[in-house]
Amino acid sequence: MNILQVFLDYASALVLPAILVGFPLYGMIRKVRVYEVFVEGAKEGFNVAVMIIPYVIAILFAIGMFRASGAMDFLTDLLRPVVGLIGIPAEVIPMGIVRPLTGSGSVGIILDMINQFGEDSIFVKMAATMFGSTETTFYVIAVYFGAVNIRKTRHAVPAGLIADTFAMLAAVYVVLLLFG
Amino acid sequence: MLNYIWGGLIVLSLVFALTSDINDFAQDTYRNDAPLPVTVVFEDEYAPTARRQPLRLEISDSDLVAHYGDSSMTGGSWEGILLQTSAGREIRFAEGVTLPEPLATICSETGQGDCRGALQGTPTGPEWRTAVTFSPVRWVKMNAIAAAALSFAETAVTLALGLIGGLGLWMGLLKIAEASGMLQALVRVTQPLIRPLFPKVPKDHPALGMIVLNLSANMLGMGNAATPLGIKAMQELQTLNETEDTATDPMVMLLTMNTASVQIMPPVTLVAIMGLQINQLFFSILITTGLSLVVGITAVKLLGRLKRYREVTP
Repeated sequence: MNILQVFLDYASALVLPAILVGFPLYGMIRKVRVYEVFVEGAKEGFNVAVMIIPYVIAILFAIGMFRASGAMDFLTDLLRPVVGLIGIPAEVIPMGIVRPLTGSGSVGIILDMINQFGEDSIFVKMAATMFGSTETTFYVIAVYFGAVNIRKTRHAVPAGLIADTFAMLAAVYVVLLLFG
Repeated sequence: MLNYIWGGLIVLSLVFALTSDINDFAQDTYRNDAPLPVTVVFEDEYAPTARRQPLRLEISDSDLVAHYGDSSMTGGSWEGILLQTSAGREIRFAEGVTLPEPLATICSETGQGDCRGALQGTPTGPEWRTAVTFSPVRWVKMNAIAAAALSFAETAVTLALGLIGGLGLWMGLLKIAEASGMLQALVRVTQPLIRPLFPKVPKDHPALGMIVLNLSANMLGMGNAATPLGIKAMQELQTLNETEDTATDPMVMLLTMNTASVQIMPPVTLVAIMGLQINQLFFSILITTGLSLVVGITAVKLLGRLKRYREVTP
């Protein structure tokens, strides 16, 4: 492990307790009525969770149907010749399609790939890099915008998908560069 | 754009499901109502009066290939139970058997928790050459998309309600941070760094502090904390929004930075899957996520200038 990783490992382990204790402690020092203020803020949590439900239902049910219809296989076949031209192996296409749509789906794909190709395979490395370097775009949109009732998303979807597409391509090339 | 993608996903699922089911009809993929030749082997002596008795079902490679017309199929033998009633004899496969496709689909589609098929004729001895007929299978994908829609709608509620605890905790803590002046201090320190990306947020606005916290939580791979912090940041940005339902420039920027993801630590889920291997991938993830973040930010800035995405003020 390199120094950066050790540092980050410590940081991510210590930050949470530091905040959990630090915020109320600092509040007490500044004579804030911490308990009352905390409860007042925490009240909002429930409302937000309920507020995002319709948005998350809308996104997830459409994605669920799409996955169940077998459309992924069709898209994979459709994209195979196209991405082959720019050096993307067909084995990682499913990951590229599923990653912005569902988190649990992408986990399933990585596990399948480990079974199929073995965990040292370069395809697994590519898929894992794709997974690690992007987010479930549509779910994030539903939750973040849903919480403030934003329905007109403007350029959020195209910008997110551009970044995702780029990350999928970059993951392949970076892995080839580092391990190929 | 989300309207088109959303509608497209739904319409396309119907199209694909229908295509697949019509194809099944045309090919008769499941050989509905056609008997499949099998050999039933009784572990003990065949008892003509017993209602239930154990058996082993053997299907030869050639029978399977001839029946389903797929030369890659291989036969095998599976445990099960012979059930004899006045209506006839049927086999029930033992629980948890793994059958080759398309038998597996036939079983999961027709069985109510168990997998069964009707057997022809009367047993002739310890090795009985007979044929099995399964219930007809139709509309596999149509049933599948309907079931998926319902189950994912339920998942959505579970997911959203699962956030309540984390949301409550973080919103409470942030309220304290605000009341104690901590957040304002954070804003003052970090705004030279962060404000260039969010030029429309006024100087010293608390939204900047929430954004910094959200991005930091993302960087450290703390997904559980990042979501509540991001939602809080969105709420702060919404107070600056002159419309009710249209995203503003800073909102789109924050969202894209989250979807492009700004992590230095790999996400917990991936660490769980990859185990120690994650150490090898540390740099490939860091480089990829860094590059895609830059692309995402650039895309937001450039797309925001297009006429169709320009901000509308009422």
